[in-house]
Amino acid sequence: MIKNIFFLLGGYWITVKLTLFALAGGISLGILVGLGRISKKKWVYYPVTFYVNLIRNIPLILVIFWFYFVMPIIVGRPLDPFPSAVISFIIFEATYFGEILRAGFQSVSKGQIEAGYSTGLTYIQTTRYILIPIAIRRMLPSMITQSIVTYQDTCLAFVIGLHEFVRRTTIVDNIEVRSIQLFGFVAILFLITCYISSVVSRRFEVKRERGY
Amino acid sequence: MIEIRDLSKWYGDLQVLDNINEEIKQGQTVVVCGPSGSGKSTLLRCINGLEPFQEGEVIVDGVSVSDPSTNLYKLRTEIGMVFQRFELYAHMTALQNITLAPMKVRKKSKKEAEAKAMELLRRVGIPEKAHEYPANLSGGQQQRVAIARSLAMEPKIMMFDEPTSALDPEMIKEVLDVMIDLSKGGMTMIVVTHEMGFAREVADEIIFMDEGRIIERGTDISFFKNPKNPRTKNFLDKILL
Repeated sequence: MIKNIFFLLGGYWITVKLTLFALAGGISLGILVGLGRISKKKWVYYPVTFYVNLIRNIPLILVIFWFYFVMPIIVGRPLDPFPSAVISFIIFEATYFGEILRAGFQSVSKGQIEAGYSTGLTYIQTTRYILIPIAIRRMLPSMITQSIVTYQDTCLAFVIGLHEFVRRTTIVDNIEVRSIQLFGFVAILFLITCYISSVVSRRFEVKRERGY
Repeated sequence: MIEIRDLSKWYGDLQVLDNINEEIKQGQTVVVCGPSGSGKSTLLRCINGLEPFQEGEVIVDGVSVSDPSTNLYKLRTEIGMVFQRFELYAHMTALQNITLAPMKVRKKSKKEAEAKAMELLRRVGIPEKAHEYPANLSGGQQQRVAIARSLAMEPKIMMFDEPTSALDPEMIKEVLDVMIDLSKGGMTMIVVTHEMGFAREVADEIIFMDEGRIIERGTDISFFKNPKNPRTKNFLDKILL
């Protein structure tokens, strides 16, 4: 019993790690995707738009599958499920965060950017100190919602044999046959953690209404 | 300080600047007026390279703006710009708005930049607003912070693009007073405005633009008393009331 709990919590830790990596990578790449989507340079805009439209029209589970089975052919050796899952999640989530941030970038007045340029800031400085911080603040509620979705979606990594939380619960259930309690435990843990995040998200929304 | 020679600019087929010639000497204040869409803002934006142009030449402090080898970022540190809608960075306090460029571009220390920023805030009359966000400031206060932000780079030239057009009447004066002080202090200034009181008080030259051309120019008195062009007369009748 105790052993099983550690086994399950170990799975939960993998889920958490996968979520953190997916978010860190997804948001970082998402910033670049968002910038690409507002770029006036055609050679930037079109490839990025193609990537976003491609990935957003494929179910996540297929992206995970596709990446896991195609990469060995390209790299020449099979990837471990965990890095493979992390990379597929980053590729997938970056398109969603990218679109959220694109909306954020477009909400920043052109004048604020020009004000930056007029004081001698470069493109990179203007983007780093003005465009990105304002966009992220404005889009924080949507970004937190998307982060919660990512966290829940990590379960799908079981399809490539990753022993995350839900997958491990299934294994324990096969031995113990106590589905209701086990999956109830999983559901409650997800419920609590997601609820806490959405409360935090709402507080940011209130702060935003106060206006900056 | 600024030399504009045969400057022309098109947006597609639409010509927005038509053969502009102008010279602005150090310490002069030049007021640009004219109906909306006459190319006033575009002219300012060509001077600091925010907009490219197709023909002619703009030389600022000996540097050609359109020369591909010109470092526009460096040039812009010499030219402050104040916008109609203030354009303060919404996520930063007044103080942070002012210190950003001196710290990132001039590589000043935070302490040094903040000391300078406080001095400028005192100069524009609102040191007590240093830690307020733009959303908590009135239009007039925001515009004064915006002026301080430009001055923090210690520019040689200040450009104002209708700085009081978005302000309530009671706030216009507080902004104009700051600008008058600057002009009298010897700053080289180009001001797009319809505040003729301001023009009367400090302008060394007034330019009237229409359809991308300078159609009238003069030192203060002559301009108001006997405009040569009927368009100018018509326009002045409207704004002077």
